Amino acid sequence: MAKILMKGNEAIAEAAVRAGAVNYFAYPITPQNEVGEYLARRLPEVGGVFLQAESEVAVGNMLFGAASTGKRVFTTSSSPGISLMQEAISYMAGAQLPVVLLNIMRGGPGLGGILPAQSDYFQATKGGGHGDYRLLVLAPSTIQEAVDLTMLAFHLADKYRNPVMIIGDGMIGQMMEPVEFPDSYTEPELPPKTWAATGADGRKPQVVKSLFLDPIALEKNNILLHEKYQAMKREEIRFECYKTAPKNKILLVAYGTMARICQTAIDELEGEGISVGLFRPITCFPFPEEALYAEATKSNIETVLTIEMSMGQMVEDVERVVARQRPVKFFGRTGGIVPSPEEVIQQIKQILASGQPTKVKV
Amino acid sequence: MQPEDHAFRRPAFDRRIIIIVGGYGSGKSEISVNLARQIAQNSSESVSIADLDIVNPYFRSREAAQQLEQFGVRSLVPAGPHVHADLPIIIPDIRTAIENPDGWLILDVGGDDVGARVLSSLTDAFRAGSYEMLLVLNGRRPFTADVDGAIKMITDIQDAARLRFTGIIANTHLMHETTPEIVMEGLSLARRVSQRTALPIAFVSAVPEIVSRLSSREIDLPMLELDRALVKPWEHMGNTWTDRKLRIR
Repeated sequence: MAKILMKGNEAIAEAAVRAGAVNYFAYPITPQNEVGEYLARRLPEVGGVFLQAESEVAVGNMLFGAASTGKRVFTTSSSPGISLMQEAISYMAGAQLPVVLLNIMRGGPGLGGILPAQSDYFQATKGGGHGDYRLLVLAPSTIQEAVDLTMLAFHLADKYRNPVMIIGDGMIGQMMEPVEFPDSYTEPELPPKTWAATGADGRKPQVVKSLFLDPIALEKNNILLHEKYQAMKREEIRFECYKTAPKNKILLVAYGTMARICQTAIDELEGEGISVGLFRPITCFPFPEEALYAEATKSNIETVLTIEMSMGQMVEDVERVVARQRPVKFFGRTGGIVPSPEEVIQQIKQILASGQPTKVKV
Repeated sequence: MQPEDHAFRRPAFDRRIIIIVGGYGSGKSEISVNLARQIAQNSSESVSIADLDIVNPYFRSREAAQQLEQFGVRSLVPAGPHVHADLPIIIPDIRTAIENPDGWLILDVGGDDVGARVLSSLTDAFRAGSYEMLLVLNGRRPFTADVDGAIKMITDIQDAARLRFTGIIANTHLMHETTPEIVMEGLSLARRVSQRTALPIAFVSAVPEIVSRLSSREIDLPMLELDRALVKPWEHMGNTWTDRKLRIR
């Protein structure tokens, strides 16, 4: 199929349809409204349903109900809306329900602003709701990658019977890039969903729930979930290295569109004879621990610099992984301000000169 | 004997109010900003640009307001932090500018019929024959990839805006993956839409790298060269979300 020009929000919506997700529940919020706009037009063509709920709390519970039937279900929102869904997300993780959620992150906390941010990393990767659970978290940096990861997300949700969250800053939702959809979409076969509530004709009723009053049963469920997260760590790590070379002294770590800004900075510095590399996590959970440790502790690397559109969230994973083998520095902007390539360059030069990044002055 | 290729004509208008409308992401803001700049550079009359996009808070023409000021273009946008809002704020200056035209006025309207609805609140302010309303058509966008899709867009927008189109802008592109062939394919779509609707093609638009590879013999239409103002932060140096510099040659 010919390449078309799409906004991230539209492209993700189309990718969900191609992956067979025809049950979409959502409540509008900037900057991801084009997903609903697109699906309101597109889903009737494929016999799907877009139900606009009365709130994100309702969305979460609609997802629970629809996912219980074994159908592919989907929602999209932005930071405050995702916060409202946390209870249902915890319930879905507990009940082992496959569901895909997209968070097009905006500035917080609270109502915050509507410009791009990456400040929901903690919420996405550390469990925004209660209990011992994890989401599988994917972070695209281009629109094509957003398409590919969205289609993959539905497969992974089914494979692990676990909610999968795609996180993108506002730009991933709003910017336009050329994309291509595969003419036919195939994915590895998965076992039948024998757990689904599809009508109890001729068999015992089955209940999809996260309630386990018997402490042994609840602990068993927690151990089962934990084993799934361990399996994700073994099988689902995704990351990318950019210009990591033996002469680099600094290793940048950034994800999403922030990584692209870092790439521009790296290319620019290369022209000045300064060689810097980038490590980009694509899965934020499972975090690419081994790969990052290997890159960060290469003998040439003196400093690891994490750059985010936040006050410093992923940097805690970077610190955990690097485990004081190298100094881990941080630079970030918030409020919807996106660091420019020049700012990144300035921070790198500052670190090369003095070992410390410069503080942001507003 | 074939005539030699000559330079493309610049877009020219008899009417001083130019309303730029089209589907989401068709390129309205980029065209509005470039049109405002080029008119300001080539006309002694004053030029104002009004950002009427109240449905989408990203990549709006208001982000280029400061840069346009260098060319004497006045931006009619909400003051203070409201400039970042996605609220239905139409400042009174816009109505005044439509009712009492003083020089040129470019109206950059939000996407689709949803974005164009804002015009219906101003319909009574326009004097008949005082404006051009141009559809920005990108044939590589999902819902305007064929004649029927484009005509549906025209009908939907006209119904929502309560104003009639007067022309089409052929703006088919794939961003950095655009080729002259893609522009020509889009122009062919625009010509077919023009035939069906009797709306003339006002001009073709493309970035200089592409324009230099197009033949003015094949395209006997005015050309708007786009010096991209609304770029992504990583696309070139000298850019932050809040402080962009236009690359002026």
